[in-house]
Amino acid sequence: MFPLIQKWHKKFGVFVALFVIFLVISGIVLNHSQQLKLNTSYIQTEWLLDFYQINPASEPVGYQSSDNRVTQVGERVYFNDSEIAKDIKKLIGIITINDIYVVAYDGQLTLITKQGEIIEHLTGVEGVPAGMEAVGFDDQGNVIIKAAHGYYHVNIDVLDWNEYDYLDANWSQASSIPEQLKSELLRQYRGSGLTIERILLDLHSGRIVGQWGVYFVDFVAILFLILAFTGVWMWWAKK
Amino acid sequence: MYKIAICVVFAIYSLHWSTESIAKGVYLEPEKFINQIFDNNPPKPDKLWITKKLNAEINNILGHDLGVIRTRYWDDGVKTAWILEEIGRDKPITVGLVVKDKKIEQINVLIFRESRGWEVKYPFFTDQYKQASLTTENKLDRKIDGISGATLSANALTKLARLALYLDAQISNK
Repeated sequence: MFPLIQKWHKKFGVFVALFVIFLVISGIVLNHSQQLKLNTSYIQTEWLLDFYQINPASEPVGYQSSDNRVTQVGERVYFNDSEIAKDIKKLIGIITINDIYVVAYDGQLTLITKQGEIIEHLTGVEGVPAGMEAVGFDDQGNVIIKAAHGYYHVNIDVLDWNEYDYLDANWSQASSIPEQLKSELLRQYRGSGLTIERILLDLHSGRIVGQWGVYFVDFVAILFLILAFTGVWMWWAKK
Repeated sequence: MYKIAICVVFAIYSLHWSTESIAKGVYLEPEKFINQIFDNNPPKPDKLWITKKLNAEINNILGHDLGVIRTRYWDDGVKTAWILEEIGRDKPITVGLVVKDKKIEQINVLIFRESRGWEVKYPFFTDQYKQASLTTENKLDRKIDGISGATLSANALTKLARLALYLDAQISNK
């Protein structure tokens, strides 16, 4: 019995040695991913981004006001080529009031200067109505919003919201996106979608090659367990 | 024996999913928070412009810019209320803070978007900030005990408490 256990203990030991080394190193690195900034370091390698299918779920949507554009790529929104918001479901549009750009999305207005600096984000707590469907402006320089429960006009400086049954406005309309801007935004979107930490986690768990990879790591973990048992058993038997 | 094993696995999965659902979510709508603080009659939000001087100190407190050049707050002449955000690990935590007499009167986690660290929403943690004020170095005048597994969320709340006190002091100095 002893020689048989010893024989298989050796075989398993040699087989799992590389995995032990990899799992220990990746485990230690993952434990310190915050300090090593792995959760904010993004992969730019095209084949890895393709492998993870880092692409927006739908075609980019764009709006234009004066000479500036706002574009939604996946769940991200860009003012020209600068990202201004994440986790956005629907971009509503952009208008210009007194040289200030007002971008509307998901119950939120973001005010931006001509130079692209974000002035502030206004949300429901500042009075932005829920269920925004369209954004526009009137001749007096007010922002007009069509929302689920009516129409609103507001002076964005003093935030005086007034509700109406109907208001006419110059509504922001979707416009085509120049190819050069589109490809630049897609490049940025892909380049900020996959962290080194994600890859390391998937390698550590085996998930990088799908469910069978996870089962394989489970199998290797069971071999670790067998090695621990057989090692202790052999030590005890010799004693 | 296998039935017990199935039950244990099921229990572990249930616990996993239930803690996930506890973790993320809107605990209190920011609008409701402001209404609660001002007895359903909140003042109009005021504006505070983030000057270069303010921005430098904000960088010291948060470790980065606020990302905007003005922020809103609510002031009824007695206290000020702030809705601020800071990233815990990967995603922003939305926090409501009330400052009175240059001390934190109330701090509430309003929206938590991460999957870990949600324990900071409980009063046993947030009560530590009550009556905290700033030292001359813009740090809290007391030590806040962290929570194991929620260190980054706890750090985010401490930064926001410092920030709210600092911004409130700028209004008082106006």
